[in-house]
Amino acid sequence: MIMTLRQAQGHGERSRTMIAQALWIVFRKPPYALAALLVAAVAFAMAVWMPNLGLIAQVITDPSATLIQKVALPVTLLLSISTNFSVLSAPYTIAIPILFGVNVAMMIYYWKRRIGAAKGAMMTAGFSGMASGIFGIGCAACGSFLLTSILSSFGAAGALFILPLRGGEFGILGVVLLGLSIFLVAKHITNPLVCNTDLKL
Amino acid sequence: MESETKQNNLFVPAAIVLAGALIGGAVYFGIRSSNGANVFSPQGEEFTGDLEQMMPITSEDHIRGNPNAPVIIVEYSDTECPFCKSFHPTMQRVMEEYGDKVAWVYRHFPLDQIHSKADTEAEATECAAELGGNAAFWKYLDRLFEVTPSNNNLDPAELPKIAQYVGLDVQEFNTCLASGKYAQHVENETQNAVATGGNGTPWSIVVAANGKKYPLSGAQPYEVVKQLIELALQEK
Repeated sequence: MIMTLRQAQGHGERSRTMIAQALWIVFRKPPYALAALLVAAVAFAMAVWMPNLGLIAQVITDPSATLIQKVALPVTLLLSISTNFSVLSAPYTIAIPILFGVNVAMMIYYWKRRIGAAKGAMMTAGFSGMASGIFGIGCAACGSFLLTSILSSFGAAGALFILPLRGGEFGILGVVLLGLSIFLVAKHITNPLVCNTDLKL
Repeated sequence: MESETKQNNLFVPAAIVLAGALIGGAVYFGIRSSNGANVFSPQGEEFTGDLEQMMPITSEDHIRGNPNAPVIIVEYSDTECPFCKSFHPTMQRVMEEYGDKVAWVYRHFPLDQIHSKADTEAEATECAAELGGNAAFWKYLDRLFEVTPSNNNLDPAELPKIAQYVGLDVQEFNTCLASGKYAQHVENETQNAVATGGNGTPWSIVVAANGKKYPLSGAQPYEVVKQLIELALQEK
């Protein structure tokens, strides 16, 4: 059956309302908002620091570095989001941690409230989104950082260069899957499982 | 039905454990690569990266600034990498602001798997050095980074034009470039970049007077480079 434009618009409108409703339900409670913020902040910092984790560890453990220097280096490295990421990778390196934080907080809410049994599709989308996002981030310099390291373990580093976006595809996929996971969690939060009565009146 | 629900409920803790494992894996691979261990070479071989494997700085190197400076930044770079292009002015600013306190050593690290033209461009800079010395090398390099659109988009016809722009004999330059005599030199520096732990460009090593080395991956902002220089200056 072909969906008319009006039906499609109505469907889109309902989805937006449902997501907004679920976000309001979860994030009006400060602990969930805080959890999302913390997870997003840690994920973002890890993504930006990833190429220089060795340097950060070296400076933090360096006895000759002052406390200010030990704190200042990781903080200033965060500025590399504006210099060390491309026009494509910078937006998804910001988007993935935010979506990841929102996703985690919503899943905790869903789990704690035991609104319903966790659905396979929802969890799969969440996992895949996280995994894909993690592989996609770290394209900090020329050559996808994390992905090349992993692929090289299998002797397949060259495979990355076949991809038109050199691994950026994983970042985009991560955003899409995390968005899908949020949509599915939102759907379950706003439409909790109920025992259907099979009564026909 | 009940067992199915229980099984389904296990998805959430399993999700958290798996997410943790994924992030842990990412961090592990990240640290491993940051430290330079087990990085890929352009040929797909594995190397044990170690900053101490950095080739010693000699008069053969292209050095900008005071060769006896207390801090030396060795940059392994690819002329077709957009991040190297954006990092070049950062390094120029470092040289302007630190004067004799910092020297900049430029070494080649063309990622020919993604930038097939970068090898030839690296050789072109070496030809510039042969024909016009260290000053010509840096003039040529500055101009090359200025004109290249990056990502393998520089027209090879620009290379002799840059030679002319910096005052070199174009015919001699073309002969030098066609000979391929610097291909091995470029390859040696590339291998050295990988051996020190470089797995992307720009890859820099900040060396203090006492030999202590700080690895720096990517086109980091000036503030980050400045902090590493200050740290290195503290080392006597």
